[in-house]
Amino acid sequence: MIINTWFGVLELGSNGKLSASELFPKDVRELALRSLSLRDSRQNLPPEGFDLKTAAIECGFADSSSEYYSLLHEVTLETVKLQVSQALTPDQRIVQAVEALDDINETTNSLSERLFEWYGGYFPESGLNGESLAVFVAKYGSRENIPPEDPLYLKAQNSMGAKLEAADELLLKSFAESVCSLYERRKQIEAYIESSMETLAPNLTALAGPMLGARLISIAGSLEKLAAFPSSTIQVIGANKALFKHLRARAPSPKHGIIYSHPLINTSPWWVRGKVARALAAKLSLAARIDFYSAKKEPSLEGELEEKIRKIREANPRPPQKRQESRAKPKKKRRR
Amino acid sequence: MTEIRLLSEGIFEVTKDKKQLSTLNLDPGKVVYGEKLISVEGAEYRTWDPRRSKLGAMVLKKFDIPLKRDSKVLYLGAASGTTVSHVSDIVSEGVVYSVEFAPRSMRDFIGLASRRKNIFPILADAGKPDSYAHIVEPVDIIFQDVAQPNQAEIAARNAVRFLKKDGYLLLSIKARSIDTAASPKEIFKEEVKKLEQAFEKGFEILTARDLMPYHEDHLGVLAKLKA
Repeated sequence: MIINTWFGVLELGSNGKLSASELFPKDVRELALRSLSLRDSRQNLPPEGFDLKTAAIECGFADSSSEYYSLLHEVTLETVKLQVSQALTPDQRIVQAVEALDDINETTNSLSERLFEWYGGYFPESGLNGESLAVFVAKYGSRENIPPEDPLYLKAQNSMGAKLEAADELLLKSFAESVCSLYERRKQIEAYIESSMETLAPNLTALAGPMLGARLISIAGSLEKLAAFPSSTIQVIGANKALFKHLRARAPSPKHGIIYSHPLINTSPWWVRGKVARALAAKLSLAARIDFYSAKKEPSLEGELEEKIRKIREANPRPPQKRQESRAKPKKKRRR
Repeated sequence: MTEIRLLSEGIFEVTKDKKQLSTLNLDPGKVVYGEKLISVEGAEYRTWDPRRSKLGAMVLKKFDIPLKRDSKVLYLGAASGTTVSHVSDIVSEGVVYSVEFAPRSMRDFIGLASRRKNIFPILADAGKPDSYAHIVEPVDIIFQDVAQPNQAEIAARNAVRFLKKDGYLLLSIKARSIDTAASPKEIFKEEVKKLEQAFEKGFEILTARDLMPYHEDHLGVLAKLKA
Protein backbone atom coordinates (compact mmCIF):
# COMPACT_ATOMS: atom_id res chain seq x y z
CA MET A 1 0.00 0.00 0.00
CA ILE A 2 1.34 3.41 -0.99
CA ILE A 3 0.59 6.38 1.22
CA ASN A 4 1.25 10.10 0.90
CA THR A 5 2.55 12.06 3.85
CA TRP A 6 3.89 15.59 4.17
CA PHE A 7 7.48 14.30 4.36
CA GLY A 8 7.42 11.65 1.64
CA VAL A 9 5.75 8.73 -0.06
CA LEU A 10 5.75 5.55 2.00
CA GLU A 11 5.08 1.99 1.06
CA LEU A 12 3.53 -0.32 3.61
CA GLY A 13 3.72 -4.07 3.41
CA SER A 14 0.66 -6.26 3.91
CA ASN A 15 1.51 -6.51 7.63
CA GLY A 16 1.26 -2.71 7.94
CA LYS A 17 5.02 -2.37 8.36
CA LEU A 18 7.06 0.15 6.45
CA SER A 19 8.69 -1.55 3.47
CA ALA A 20 9.99 1.30 1.32
CA SER A 21 10.02 5.07 1.32
CA GLU A 22 10.78 7.97 -0.94
CA LEU A 23 11.56 10.99 1.22
CA PHE A 24 11.27 14.60 0.16
CA PRO A 25 14.22 16.96 0.61
CA LYS A 26 14.13 18.88 3.89
CA ASP A 27 13.35 22.19 2.25
CA VAL A 28 10.61 24.09 4.07
CA ARG A 29 9.22 25.89 1.04
CA GLU A 30 9.15 22.81 -1.13
CA LEU A 31 7.55 20.71 1.60
CA ALA A 32 4.93 23.41 2.04
CA LEU A 33 4.09 23.42 -1.67
CA ARG A 34 3.80 19.63 -1.65
CA SER A 35 1.61 19.78 1.40
CA LEU A 36 -0.71 22.17 -0.43
CA SER A 37 -1.08 19.85 -3.40
CA LEU A 38 -1.68 16.87 -1.09
CA ARG A 39 -4.40 18.86 0.63
CA ASP A 40 -6.32 19.07 -2.62
CA SER A 41 -5.52 15.70 -4.17
CA ARG A 42 -6.49 13.59 -1.12
CA GLN A 43 -5.10 10.46 -2.69
CA ASN A 44 -3.35 7.55 -1.04
CA LEU A 45 -4.28 8.79 2.41
CA PRO A 46 -2.62 7.24 5.44
CA PRO A 47 -4.89 4.60 7.02
CA GLU A 48 -6.98 5.65 10.02
CA GLY A 49 -4.90 5.99 13.15
CA PHE A 50 -1.59 5.85 11.25
CA ASP A 51 1.31 7.17 13.32
CA LEU A 52 3.10 9.62 11.02
CA LYS A 53 5.76 10.63 13.52
CA THR A 54 6.92 7.10 14.30
CA ALA A 55 7.01 6.31 10.58
CA ALA A 56 9.05 9.44 9.88
CA ILE A 57 11.65 8.46 12.45
CA GLU A 58 11.64 4.84 11.33
CA CYS A 59 12.33 5.70 7.72
CA GLY A 60 15.05 8.13 8.69
CA PHE A 61 13.39 11.40 7.75
CA ALA A 62 13.86 12.76 11.27
CA ASP A 63 16.28 11.64 13.96
CA SER A 64 14.04 12.52 16.88
CA SER A 65 10.60 13.69 17.90
CA SER A 66 11.85 17.19 18.45
CA GLU A 67 13.40 17.40 14.98
CA TYR A 68 10.19 16.06 13.45
CA TYR A 69 8.06 18.57 15.30
CA SER A 70 10.24 21.56 14.65
CA LEU A 71 10.29 20.84 10.92
CA LEU A 72 6.54 20.21 10.89
CA HIS A 73 6.02 23.51 12.70
CA GLU A 74 7.91 25.41 10.03
CA VAL A 75 6.25 23.58 7.16
CA THR A 76 2.68 24.08 8.43
CA LEU A 77 3.43 27.73 9.08
CA GLU A 78 4.82 28.22 5.58
CA THR A 79 1.81 26.40 4.11
CA VAL A 80 -0.77 28.63 5.80
CA LYS A 81 1.20 31.72 4.84
CA LEU A 82 0.99 30.64 1.20
CA GLN A 83 -2.72 29.96 1.55
CA VAL A 84 -3.47 33.25 3.27
CA SER A 85 -1.64 35.22 0.61
CA GLN A 86 -3.68 33.49 -2.08
CA ALA A 87 -6.94 34.24 -0.30
CA LEU A 88 -7.26 37.86 -1.45
CA THR A 89 -9.32 37.30 -4.58
CA PRO A 90 -10.92 40.04 -6.77
CA ASP A 91 -14.29 39.61 -5.07
CA GLN A 92 -12.63 40.14 -1.68
CA ARG A 93 -11.32 43.48 -2.97
CA ILE A 94 -14.84 44.45 -3.94
CA VAL A 95 -16.10 43.46 -0.52
CA GLN A 96 -13.49 45.70 1.09
CA ALA A 97 -14.37 48.56 -1.27
CA VAL A 98 -18.08 48.27 -0.46
CA GLU A 99 -17.37 48.37 3.26
CA ALA A 100 -15.04 51.33 2.83
CA LEU A 101 -17.77 53.08 0.87
CA ASP A 102 -20.27 52.54 3.68
CA ASP A 103 -17.79 53.92 6.21
CA ILE A 104 -17.12 56.96 4.04
CA ASN A 105 -20.82 57.61 3.55
CA GLU A 106 -21.43 57.53 7.25
CA THR A 107 -18.52 59.84 8.00
CA THR A 108 -19.23 62.34 5.24
CA ASN A 109 -22.84 62.60 6.28
CA SER A 110 -22.06 63.42 9.87
CA LEU A 111 -19.17 65.76 8.94
CA SER A 112 -21.19 67.68 6.39
CA GLU A 113 -24.02 68.02 8.89
CA ARG A 114 -21.49 69.46 11.29
CA LEU A 115 -20.28 71.88 8.63
CA PHE A 116 -23.87 72.90 7.91
CA GLU A 117 -24.48 73.71 11.58
CA TRP A 118 -21.16 75.43 12.04
CA TYR A 119 -21.10 77.56 8.91
CA GLY A 120 -24.83 78.25 9.24
CA GLY A 121 -24.02 80.68 12.03
CA TYR A 122 -22.07 82.86 9.59
CA PHE A 123 -24.19 82.60 6.44
CA PRO A 124 -27.59 81.02 7.16
CA GLU A 125 -29.14 82.25 3.88
CA SER A 126 -26.79 80.28 1.60
CA GLY A 127 -29.34 77.49 1.08
CA LEU A 128 -26.48 75.08 0.45
CA ASN A 129 -25.83 71.77 2.11
CA GLY A 130 -23.89 68.56 1.63
CA GLU A 131 -21.24 68.55 -1.03
CA SER A 132 -22.16 71.93 -2.57
CA LEU A 133 -21.77 73.65 0.80
CA ALA A 134 -18.41 71.97 1.40
CA VAL A 135 -17.17 73.08 -2.03
CA PHE A 136 -18.47 76.60 -1.41
CA VAL A 137 -16.80 76.99 1.98
CA ALA A 138 -13.55 75.51 0.77
CA LYS A 139 -13.53 77.98 -2.11
CA TYR A 140 -14.56 81.23 -0.44
CA GLY A 141 -14.42 80.87 3.32
CA SER A 142 -16.12 83.99 4.61
CA ARG A 143 -19.18 85.27 2.73
CA GLU A 144 -17.36 88.57 2.26
CA ASN A 145 -15.11 86.92 -0.33
CA ILE A 146 -17.96 86.06 -2.66
CA PRO A 147 -17.43 87.87 -5.99
CA PRO A 148 -20.28 89.98 -7.46
CA GLU A 149 -20.86 87.57 -10.36
CA ASP A 150 -21.75 84.71 -7.99
CA PRO A 151 -25.53 84.15 -7.71
CA LEU A 152 -25.24 84.17 -3.92
CA TYR A 153 -23.60 87.63 -3.87
CA LEU A 154 -26.69 89.60 -2.92
CA LYS A 155 -27.75 87.18 -0.24
CA ALA A 156 -24.26 87.29 1.20
CA GLN A 157 -24.29 91.08 1.28
CA ASN A 158 -27.56 91.18 3.24
CA SER A 159 -26.88 88.13 5.42
CA MET A 160 -27.77 88.23 9.09
CA GLY A 161 -24.90 85.83 9.84
CA ALA A 162 -22.12 86.71 12.22
CA LYS A 163 -18.77 87.97 11.04
CA LEU A 164 -16.25 85.21 10.40
CA GLU A 165 -12.95 85.89 12.20
CA ALA A 166 -9.73 85.02 10.39
CA ALA A 167 -8.82 82.16 12.74
CA ASP A 168 -12.29 80.60 12.46
CA GLU A 169 -12.27 81.08 8.71
CA LEU A 170 -9.02 79.17 8.37
CA LEU A 171 -10.37 76.34 10.48
CA LEU A 172 -13.69 76.14 8.62
CA LYS A 173 -12.01 76.26 5.26
CA SER A 174 -9.71 73.35 5.96
CA PHE A 175 -12.56 71.43 7.57
CA ALA A 176 -14.59 71.94 4.40
CA GLU A 177 -11.64 70.82 2.32
CA SER A 178 -11.49 67.56 4.23
CA VAL A 179 -15.19 67.01 3.61
CA CYS A 180 -14.67 67.74 -0.09
CA SER A 181 -11.90 65.21 -0.34
CA LEU A 182 -14.12 62.60 1.32
CA TYR A 183 -16.75 63.23 -1.33
CA GLU A 184 -14.08 62.76 -3.96
CA ARG A 185 -12.92 59.49 -2.39
CA ARG A 186 -16.51 58.33 -2.50
CA LYS A 187 -16.72 58.90 -6.22
CA GLN A 188 -13.38 57.20 -6.71
CA ILE A 189 -14.46 54.10 -4.82
CA GLU A 190 -17.76 53.99 -6.65
CA ALA A 191 -15.95 54.15 -9.98
CA TYR A 192 -13.63 51.37 -8.81
CA ILE A 193 -16.54 49.15 -7.82
CA GLU A 194 -18.32 49.83 -11.10
CA SER A 195 -15.36 48.91 -13.24
CA SER A 196 -14.36 45.83 -11.24
CA MET A 197 -17.91 44.53 -11.05
CA GLU A 198 -18.08 44.77 -14.83
CA THR A 199 -15.21 42.31 -15.18
CA LEU A 200 -15.83 40.14 -12.12
CA ALA A 201 -19.57 39.65 -12.44
CA PRO A 202 -20.91 40.95 -15.77
CA ASN A 203 -24.29 39.23 -15.55
CA LEU A 204 -24.98 40.24 -11.99
CA THR A 205 -23.97 43.79 -12.87
CA ALA A 206 -26.26 43.84 -15.90
CA LEU A 207 -29.27 42.75 -13.86
CA ALA A 208 -28.68 44.42 -10.52
CA GLY A 209 -26.42 47.32 -11.37
CA PRO A 210 -22.86 47.51 -10.03
CA MET A 211 -23.63 48.88 -6.57
CA LEU A 212 -26.44 46.48 -5.68
CA GLY A 213 -24.45 43.59 -7.12
CA ALA A 214 -21.41 44.54 -5.09
CA ARG A 215 -23.52 44.83 -1.95
CA LEU A 216 -24.97 41.38 -2.48
CA ILE A 217 -21.46 39.95 -2.82
CA SER A 218 -20.33 41.88 0.23
CA ILE A 219 -23.13 40.60 2.46
CA ALA A 220 -22.81 37.04 1.15
CA GLY A 221 -19.04 37.23 1.81
CA SER A 222 -17.87 36.25 -1.66
CA LEU A 223 -19.15 35.60 -5.15
CA GLU A 224 -18.81 31.89 -4.51
CA LYS A 225 -21.10 32.05 -1.50
CA LEU A 226 -23.60 34.24 -3.33
CA ALA A 227 -23.68 31.73 -6.17
CA ALA A 228 -24.41 29.00 -3.66
CA PHE A 229 -27.34 30.83 -2.08
CA PRO A 230 -30.86 29.82 -3.07
CA SER A 231 -32.76 32.67 -4.68
CA SER A 232 -35.13 32.83 -1.71
CA THR A 233 -32.12 33.82 0.40
CA ILE A 234 -31.00 36.43 -2.12
CA GLN A 235 -34.51 37.86 -2.03
CA VAL A 236 -34.27 38.65 1.69
CA ILE A 237 -30.53 39.39 2.08
CA GLY A 238 -30.32 42.47 4.25
CA ALA A 239 -33.71 41.93 5.90
CA ASN A 240 -32.26 39.87 8.74
CA LYS A 241 -34.28 41.43 11.49
CA ALA A 242 -37.60 40.94 9.74
CA LEU A 243 -36.65 37.44 8.64
CA PHE A 244 -35.71 36.18 12.09
CA LYS A 245 -38.72 37.85 13.62
CA HIS A 246 -40.76 35.90 11.11
CA LEU A 247 -39.00 32.62 11.88
CA ARG A 248 -39.22 32.98 15.64
CA ALA A 249 -42.60 34.58 16.12
CA ARG A 250 -45.73 35.33 14.16
CA ALA A 251 -44.43 38.18 12.06
CA PRO A 252 -45.08 38.33 8.31
CA SER A 253 -42.23 37.18 6.11
CA PRO A 254 -40.14 39.95 4.53
CA LYS A 255 -40.72 40.41 0.81
CA HIS A 256 -37.37 41.93 -0.01
CA GLY A 257 -34.04 42.80 1.53
CA ILE A 258 -31.51 45.12 -0.07
CA ILE A 259 -32.78 44.23 -3.53
CA TYR A 260 -35.56 46.67 -2.71
CA SER A 261 -33.24 49.38 -4.00
CA HIS A 262 -33.54 47.87 -7.48
CA PRO A 263 -35.68 50.14 -9.69
CA LEU A 264 -37.85 47.22 -10.85
CA ILE A 265 -39.04 46.77 -7.29
CA ASN A 266 -39.25 50.26 -5.90
CA THR A 267 -41.07 51.60 -8.94
CA SER A 268 -43.58 48.76 -8.93
CA PRO A 269 -46.96 49.24 -7.27
CA TRP A 270 -46.91 47.85 -3.76
CA TRP A 271 -49.13 44.87 -4.39
CA VAL A 272 -46.77 43.27 -6.89
CA ARG A 273 -43.50 44.06 -5.16
CA GLY A 274 -43.29 40.67 -3.49
CA LYS A 275 -43.81 38.90 -6.79
CA VAL A 276 -41.35 41.13 -8.60
CA ALA A 277 -38.79 40.60 -5.83
CA ARG A 278 -39.13 36.85 -6.18
CA ALA A 279 -38.68 36.98 -9.95
CA LEU A 280 -35.73 39.34 -9.67
CA ALA A 281 -34.04 37.24 -6.98
CA ALA A 282 -34.44 34.13 -9.14
CA LYS A 283 -32.64 35.80 -12.04
CA LEU A 284 -30.00 37.33 -9.78
CA SER A 285 -29.08 33.94 -8.40
CA LEU A 286 -28.82 32.57 -11.93
CA ALA A 287 -26.63 35.52 -12.88
CA ALA A 288 -24.34 35.02 -9.87
CA ARG A 289 -23.92 31.35 -10.75
CA ILE A 290 -23.10 32.07 -14.38
CA ASP A 291 -20.62 34.71 -13.25
CA PHE A 292 -18.90 32.43 -10.77
CA TYR A 293 -18.75 29.28 -12.87
CA SER A 294 -18.31 30.55 -16.43
CA ALA A 295 -17.79 34.34 -16.25
CA LYS A 296 -19.37 34.67 -19.70
CA LYS A 297 -22.00 37.24 -20.48
CA GLU A 298 -25.42 35.67 -20.94
CA PRO A 299 -27.49 38.24 -22.88
CA SER A 300 -30.84 36.43 -22.65
CA LEU A 301 -31.21 36.95 -18.88
CA GLU A 302 -32.23 40.59 -19.03
CA GLY A 303 -34.93 39.96 -21.64
CA GLU A 304 -36.33 37.04 -19.69
CA LEU A 305 -36.54 39.11 -16.55
CA GLU A 306 -38.30 41.98 -18.29
CA GLU A 307 -40.76 39.60 -19.85
CA LYS A 308 -41.50 38.01 -16.49
CA ILE A 309 -42.01 41.36 -14.78
CA ARG A 310 -44.30 42.50 -17.58
CA LYS A 311 -46.44 39.39 -17.10
CA ILE A 312 -46.62 39.95 -13.35
CA ARG A 313 -47.77 43.51 -13.82
CA GLU A 314 -50.32 42.52 -16.43
CA ALA A 315 -51.77 39.79 -14.25
CA ASN A 316 -52.11 42.13 -11.29
CA PRO A 317 -53.33 45.47 -12.58
CA ARG A 318 -55.27 46.40 -9.43
CA PRO A 319 -54.56 46.13 -5.73
CA PRO A 320 -56.08 43.00 -4.21
CA GLN A 321 -59.46 43.33 -2.52
CA LYS A 322 -59.41 43.16 1.24
CA ARG A 323 -60.20 39.60 2.17
CA GLN A 324 -63.12 38.73 4.40
CA GLU A 325 -62.21 38.48 8.06
CA SER A 326 -61.16 34.85 8.07
CA ARG A 327 -58.25 34.88 10.41
CA ALA A 328 -55.77 32.16 9.68
CA LYS A 329 -55.59 29.82 12.59
CA PRO A 330 -52.82 30.88 14.95
CA LYS A 331 -49.50 29.29 14.23
CA LYS A 332 -47.99 27.22 16.97
CA LYS A 333 -45.82 29.57 18.94
CA ARG A 334 -42.31 28.26 18.81
CA ARG A 335 -40.18 30.39 21.02
CA ARG A 336 -40.31 33.77 22.73
CA MET B 1 -0.78 38.27 48.66
CA THR B 2 -1.12 36.03 45.63
CA GLU B 3 -2.57 32.59 46.04
CA ILE B 4 -2.36 29.80 43.50
CA ARG B 5 -4.58 26.77 43.36
CA LEU B 6 -4.21 23.95 40.84
CA LEU B 7 -7.51 23.16 39.11
CA SER B 8 -6.30 20.64 36.55
CA GLU B 9 -2.93 19.88 35.03
CA GLY B 10 -1.55 23.18 33.76
CA ILE B 11 -4.66 25.14 34.77
CA PHE B 12 -4.59 27.39 37.81
CA GLU B 13 -6.75 29.67 39.81
CA VAL B 14 -4.65 32.69 40.68
CA THR B 15 -6.06 34.90 43.41
CA LYS B 16 -4.74 38.41 43.30
CA ASP B 17 -7.43 40.93 44.22
CA LYS B 18 -9.90 38.48 42.66
CA LYS B 19 -9.95 34.86 41.55
CA GLN B 20 -8.73 34.40 38.00
CA LEU B 21 -8.45 31.39 35.78
CA SER B 22 -4.90 31.21 34.40
CA THR B 23 -2.31 29.14 32.63
CA LEU B 24 1.48 29.28 32.82
CA ASN B 25 2.73 31.48 29.99
CA LEU B 26 4.77 29.45 27.53
CA ASP B 27 5.87 32.62 25.75
CA PRO B 28 6.93 34.84 28.68
CA GLY B 29 6.32 38.57 28.41
CA LYS B 30 3.97 38.23 25.46
CA VAL B 31 0.27 38.99 25.60
CA VAL B 32 -1.98 37.32 23.01
CA TYR B 33 -5.35 39.06 23.17
CA GLY B 34 -5.16 41.68 25.90
CA GLU B 35 -5.21 39.32 28.89
CA LYS B 36 -3.33 40.11 32.08
CA LEU B 37 0.05 38.69 33.03
CA ILE B 38 0.67 37.92 36.69
CA SER B 39 4.18 37.07 37.87
CA VAL B 40 4.49 34.91 40.97
CA GLU B 41 7.89 33.74 42.21
CA GLY B 42 9.51 33.70 38.81
CA ALA B 43 6.57 32.06 37.06
CA GLU B 44 4.37 34.07 34.76
CA TYR B 45 0.65 33.33 34.65
CA ARG B 46 -1.64 34.42 31.85
CA THR B 47 -5.23 35.09 32.87
CA TRP B 48 -7.90 33.24 30.92
CA ASP B 49 -11.27 34.84 30.30
CA PRO B 50 -14.00 32.15 30.42
CA ARG B 51 -16.35 34.49 28.61
CA ARG B 52 -14.11 34.48 25.59
CA SER B 53 -13.29 30.79 25.64
CA LYS B 54 -15.57 27.76 25.69
CA LEU B 55 -12.78 25.63 27.10
CA GLY B 56 -12.17 28.15 29.88
CA ALA B 57 -15.87 28.04 30.70
CA MET B 58 -15.76 24.24 30.77
CA VAL B 59 -12.97 24.37 33.35
CA LEU B 60 -15.06 26.58 35.61
CA LYS B 61 -18.13 24.41 35.05
CA LYS B 62 -16.11 21.60 36.68
CA PHE B 63 -15.51 19.48 33.60
CA ASP B 64 -12.77 16.87 33.97
CA ILE B 65 -10.27 18.43 31.59
CA PRO B 66 -8.15 15.59 30.14
CA LEU B 67 -5.33 17.85 28.93
CA LYS B 68 -1.90 16.78 30.22
CA ARG B 69 1.53 18.33 29.91
CA ASP B 70 2.47 16.07 26.98
CA SER B 71 -0.96 15.71 25.35
CA LYS B 72 -1.37 15.73 21.63
CA VAL B 73 -4.38 17.83 20.69
CA LEU B 74 -6.35 18.30 17.50
CA TYR B 75 -8.07 21.66 17.81
CA LEU B 76 -10.89 22.25 15.33
CA GLY B 77 -12.02 25.84 14.91
CA ALA B 78 -8.92 27.69 16.07
CA ALA B 79 -10.24 31.14 15.04
CA SER B 80 -7.65 33.78 15.91
CA GLY B 81 -6.14 31.61 18.61
CA THR B 82 -7.48 32.99 21.88
CA THR B 83 -8.17 29.56 23.35
CA VAL B 84 -5.44 27.79 21.38
CA SER B 85 -2.89 29.94 23.16
CA HIS B 86 -4.04 28.57 26.52
CA VAL B 87 -4.11 25.00 25.25
CA SER B 88 -0.57 25.58 24.03
CA ASP B 89 0.35 26.76 27.55
CA ILE B 90 -1.17 23.66 29.13
CA VAL B 91 0.36 21.09 26.79
CA SER B 92 3.79 22.66 27.08
CA GLU B 93 5.52 19.43 26.04
CA GLY B 94 2.81 18.30 23.66
CA VAL B 95 1.47 19.55 20.35
CA VAL B 96 -1.62 21.33 19.09
CA TYR B 97 -2.75 20.73 15.52
CA SER B 98 -4.97 23.76 14.96
CA VAL B 99 -7.47 23.68 12.11
CA GLU B 100 -9.20 26.84 10.97
CA PHE B 101 -11.19 27.42 7.80
CA ALA B 102 -11.28 31.21 7.46
CA PRO B 103 -8.20 32.83 5.89
CA ARG B 104 -9.05 36.07 7.71
CA SER B 105 -8.85 34.44 11.15
CA MET B 106 -5.78 32.52 10.11
CA ARG B 107 -4.04 35.79 9.30
CA ASP B 108 -4.31 36.81 12.95
CA PHE B 109 -3.44 33.32 14.11
CA ILE B 110 -0.15 33.08 12.18
CA GLY B 111 1.63 35.53 14.46
CA LEU B 112 0.77 33.45 17.51
CA ALA B 113 1.56 30.15 15.82
CA SER B 114 4.97 31.32 14.69
CA ARG B 115 6.03 32.18 18.25
CA ARG B 116 4.84 28.94 19.83
CA LYS B 117 6.66 25.86 18.65
CA ASN B 118 3.95 23.42 19.76
CA ILE B 119 1.27 24.90 17.48
CA PHE B 120 0.84 23.53 13.95
CA PRO B 121 -1.59 25.73 12.03
CA ILE B 122 -3.71 24.13 9.30
CA LEU B 123 -5.97 26.11 6.98
CA ALA B 124 -8.63 23.58 6.03
CA ASP B 125 -12.26 22.59 6.42
CA ALA B 126 -12.69 20.58 9.62
CA GLY B 127 -15.50 18.73 7.87
CA LYS B 128 -12.95 17.24 5.48
CA PRO B 129 -10.33 15.57 7.67
CA ASP B 130 -8.90 13.84 4.60
CA SER B 131 -7.43 17.16 3.53
CA TYR B 132 -5.07 17.17 6.51
CA ALA B 133 -4.61 13.44 6.97
CA HIS B 134 -1.08 13.71 5.58
CA ILE B 135 -0.09 16.01 8.47
CA VAL B 136 -1.92 15.02 11.65
CA GLU B 137 -0.83 12.09 13.80
CA PRO B 138 -3.12 10.20 16.22
CA VAL B 139 -4.10 12.50 19.10
CA ASP B 140 -5.17 12.17 22.73
CA ILE B 141 -7.78 14.90 22.63
CA ILE B 142 -9.96 16.49 20.00
CA PHE B 143 -11.31 19.89 20.96
CA GLN B 144 -13.99 21.20 18.69
CA ASP B 145 -15.57 24.63 18.57
CA VAL B 146 -16.72 25.10 15.00
CA ALA B 147 -20.28 26.47 15.18
CA GLN B 148 -21.45 24.46 12.19
CA PRO B 149 -24.86 22.83 11.79
CA ASN B 150 -23.27 19.40 11.32
CA GLN B 151 -21.01 19.53 14.38
CA ALA B 152 -21.66 15.97 15.49
CA GLU B 153 -20.74 14.64 12.08
CA ILE B 154 -17.54 16.68 11.98
CA ALA B 155 -16.53 15.36 15.39
CA ALA B 156 -17.23 11.79 14.29
CA ARG B 157 -15.23 12.05 11.09
CA ASN B 158 -12.21 13.46 12.87
CA ALA B 159 -12.45 11.00 15.75
CA VAL B 160 -12.50 8.03 13.40
CA ARG B 161 -9.39 9.22 11.68
CA PHE B 162 -7.31 10.79 14.41
CA LEU B 163 -8.51 9.99 17.93
CA LYS B 164 -6.59 7.35 19.88
CA LYS B 165 -8.68 4.54 21.37
CA ASP B 166 -8.50 5.98 24.87
CA GLY B 167 -8.73 9.58 23.64
CA TYR B 168 -11.26 12.23 24.58
CA LEU B 169 -13.50 14.59 22.69
CA LEU B 170 -14.24 18.03 24.09
CA LEU B 171 -16.97 19.77 22.20
CA SER B 172 -18.87 22.98 22.41
CA ILE B 173 -22.27 23.02 20.73
CA LYS B 174 -23.80 26.34 19.80
CA ALA B 175 -27.57 26.03 19.57
CA ARG B 176 -27.90 29.12 17.38
CA SER B 177 -25.75 27.71 14.62
CA ILE B 178 -27.89 24.59 14.33
CA ASP B 179 -31.34 26.15 14.30
CA THR B 180 -32.05 29.78 15.09
CA ALA B 181 -35.69 29.24 15.89
CA ALA B 182 -35.90 25.99 17.87
CA SER B 183 -35.41 25.75 21.60
CA PRO B 184 -31.80 25.19 22.68
CA LYS B 185 -32.75 22.39 25.08
CA GLU B 186 -34.25 20.30 22.31
CA ILE B 187 -31.28 20.94 20.07
CA PHE B 188 -28.86 19.83 22.78
CA LYS B 189 -30.83 16.62 23.33
CA GLU B 190 -30.73 15.89 19.60
CA GLU B 191 -27.06 16.67 19.24
CA VAL B 192 -26.07 14.47 22.17
CA LYS B 193 -28.09 11.65 20.62
CA LYS B 194 -26.34 12.26 17.31
CA LEU B 195 -22.95 12.04 19.01
CA GLU B 196 -23.84 8.75 20.64
CA GLN B 197 -24.82 7.31 17.29
CA ALA B 198 -22.55 9.38 15.08
CA PHE B 199 -20.62 6.46 13.69
CA GLU B 200 -20.23 2.76 14.15
CA LYS B 201 -18.58 2.93 17.54
CA GLY B 202 -20.21 6.08 18.81
CA PHE B 203 -19.18 8.33 21.66
CA GLU B 204 -19.82 7.70 25.30
CA ILE B 205 -20.92 11.00 26.83
CA LEU B 206 -19.14 11.60 30.13
CA THR B 207 -20.32 15.13 30.89
CA ALA B 208 -22.77 17.43 29.16
CA ARG B 209 -23.47 20.76 30.76
CA ASP B 210 -24.53 24.17 29.52
CA LEU B 211 -21.92 26.92 29.71
CA MET B 212 -24.07 29.55 31.44
CA PRO B 213 -23.35 32.18 32.62
CA TYR B 214 -20.21 32.43 30.45
CA HIS B 215 -21.78 31.57 27.10
CA GLU B 216 -25.46 31.71 26.28
CA ASP B 217 -27.12 28.76 24.54
CA HIS B 218 -23.94 26.71 24.45
CA LEU B 219 -23.53 23.14 25.60
CA GLY B 220 -20.17 21.74 26.62
CA VAL B 221 -19.64 18.02 26.07
CA LEU B 222 -16.89 15.69 27.23
CA ALA B 223 -16.94 12.31 25.55
CA LYS B 224 -14.77 9.33 24.77
CA LEU B 225 -14.98 6.55 22.26
CA LYS B 226 -17.17 3.66 23.33
CA ALA B 227 -15.10 0.68 24.30
